[in-house]
Amino acid sequence: MALTLHGTVSDNTVVLDRRSAKPLIINGDMQVAQRATSVTGITASGFHTVDRMNLAISSFGTWTQTQDTTVPTAKGFTKSLKMDCTTAETSPSAGDYLAFQAKIEAQDLQMLKYGTSSAEALTLKFYVRSPKTGTHIVHFYSPDGNRHISKAYTISSADTFQEVIINIPGDTGGTINNDNGLGFNIEWYFGAGSNSTSGTLATSWASYVNANVAVGQVNCADSTDNNFFITGIQLEVGEFDVDSIPPFQHESFKDNLERCQRYYQNQGNNFFGRTEGTTKFYFQVPFPVEMRTSPSITARGTGFKFSARYQGTDYLQDNPSISSAIGNEDGCWLGVTGSGLTNGVTIYGRGNRDKEGRFLALSAEL
Amino acid sequence: MNKDNIVSVKKIEDDYSVVLSYEVVWDIDKVTFVPNATDNADYQTVQAWAAIDGNTIAEAD
Repeated sequence: MALTLHGTVSDNTVVLDRRSAKPLIINGDMQVAQRATSVTGITASGFHTVDRMNLAISSFGTWTQTQDTTVPTAKGFTKSLKMDCTTAETSPSAGDYLAFQAKIEAQDLQMLKYGTSSAEALTLKFYVRSPKTGTHIVHFYSPDGNRHISKAYTISSADTFQEVIINIPGDTGGTINNDNGLGFNIEWYFGAGSNSTSGTLATSWASYVNANVAVGQVNCADSTDNNFFITGIQLEVGEFDVDSIPPFQHESFKDNLERCQRYYQNQGNNFFGRTEGTTKFYFQVPFPVEMRTSPSITARGTGFKFSARYQGTDYLQDNPSISSAIGNEDGCWLGVTGSGLTNGVTIYGRGNRDKEGRFLALSAEL
Repeated sequence: MNKDNIVSVKKIEDDYSVVLSYEVVWDIDKVTFVPNATDNADYQTVQAWAAIDGNTIAEAD
């Protein structure tokens, strides 16, 4: 078997092009969608389906978002993130915007050496399918130094997957703190109002100016016929072109999921605790992956069953009501309302038998 | 979590009156328990909601 190394050879030393062991963009192949695989009626920002891909939207139509199987041909991807316009926005107001966002933790970007003369360049590659030809914008925002840079790319053929490679220079004047906060917010625009298009595109790193973010961006929300897709996102340290960029790092589903779970998890299928009084359980739920910070804890709506082994019999309850919840990065402690209980009895339990029984949504997103 | 979707917020405290988290009621009949942790994005959303005139975080029961 031949071993092919991707890099340069000099003085009998092989320098590999890739500087990070794991992809900087988590879930860039859109494989993991813990929250849902399809959501309709979207008008608000948030993580709706595919993990790590936030939708930023303000008064820019109504959409169905899907983890889709429409992908570029023979590139090794099986999933994409799709947006399907169901209510158009033909005349966006000044402050309106429509973009995907991928956020990277600051402590994972320290190798970029921002703020020094050795600041590293980056190369962003992705596959996008847009309903509109013309100018599209990718925007990098670095909040610790309030710095940004935007790059334009041109879609030459509508409704066709296109490979895009964007070079981003190192920011010698920037700052990225070594902490668990936001390091980069990378945004793919699909529509923008005049507040972010009325200036001059910030094609070099500069202090953030909203008017310079998305100059020239076409409106991908002007018809209910419009769909757009993205997949295969990779971010490499260094400057590459279409011939030299290393191939996409495909991770196993397990590795991909575990990296996503630092920011979001569905849990609650197994727990143990005790009763306190006659109307309340208290449960511990350990997390399989340490989260970025203490998560927000939400019961994932109705339709969930809850069963606990209690004094030798099953205690069953539909749609459990969480009355209190506290947690840290490693686990949480829940108060769940019940009835007819005996005080101080040890119990253990589970949600539904399948993974949908994980009735807790835990969010530590950036 | 969007601040536009928040209906009400109440503190949850321990026995020493330390705020552990915030019970956030949404307009879609959901409840989220947001930790009292400044690096949690939803904590920032709760504070932004509380800064709007007319919005108040209720004291713990």
